[in-house]
Amino acid sequence: MNKNALDQIIEDTFTHEPGFRLPDDFAQKVTARLKRRSQWKSDLSDYLNINAVVILILTFVGGTYYFINRTIVIQAITFISNNILAVGSLLLILNFILFADRVILPLLFNRWKINE
Amino acid sequence: MDDNELISRILNGNMNAFTFLVNRYRKLVVHITGRLIQRQEEVEDVSQEVFLKVYQSLGNYRNESKLSTWIATIAYNTGINHLRKLKKEDGRINFDDTSVLKSLADFRTENYERIDLHQYIREQIELLPVNFRTVITLYHLEEFSYQEIEQITGMPEGTVKSYLFRAKAILKEKLKFIVDDNSLKTVKEISNE
Repeated sequence: MNKNALDQIIEDTFTHEPGFRLPDDFAQKVTARLKRRSQWKSDLSDYLNINAVVILILTFVGGTYYFINRTIVIQAITFISNNILAVGSLLLILNFILFADRVILPLLFNRWKINE
Repeated sequence: MDDNELISRILNGNMNAFTFLVNRYRKLVVHITGRLIQRQEEVEDVSQEVFLKVYQSLGNYRNESKLSTWIATIAYNTGINHLRKLKKEDGRINFDDTSVLKSLADFRTENYERIDLHQYIREQIELLPVNFRTVITLYHLEEFSYQEIEQITGMPEGTVKSYLFRAKAILKEKLKFIVDDNSLKTVKEISNE
């Protein structure tokens, strides 16, 4: 074999596809992953919005009561600061339940549905 | 359907159009990510990541380059980032390491009359440094121009040409024994099969 023939063989081989393959349903998988990701983003944003609304309502009610009956607000703050651990834990648990319900469970359900 | 129409349909929320785009460019993406990563089990994940990025950035696409060039750029960057992550994890990957080239002796000791020459060269291409493999794929397999490769990889045109030349020189060196050897006839017969 002369050098030109070898050159030609090398050039030919350059145009051969490497052996890496994607499955036939690749496009469907990408679309499903895309939907799952956008669903997850929307679920997370829902969860954050609910949190923001609850905080806004509490702030508004607290602020209004501060002007109507300051004693109740001060009592509430005192109660919270005296029981910070219990109140904090309760809020954390409630928040986790909300997070699981709004974000984690839909995500797991989607994955399970895709794997089925 | 041309690319512009496809893009406008996707931007209007048509997921079927996106599936169509994925099917149209999946080969381009898998060639680039495959040659970069060389791990079949990770190529699918990285290719999916590429198309997710394409979807998310499609609104920013301007017609300054061909859609294929733009997608190839995303595939290249995603593949390189994945490689860097792998390098951090196991420290094995070197971006310009010719020392990984397999010894010719391995091949010579085998009876190469029985081996498909194209297959052997393909294996040798996979053993080239990552930049060499990338430019070979983009230039020869995907038929991008030097300017487009520069746009995709960020390598200057001269560097691209040099990598192509050096890649070929390395392969020729590794296949020198075929030209030198007396048994060339046999190999030629094999290559003509």
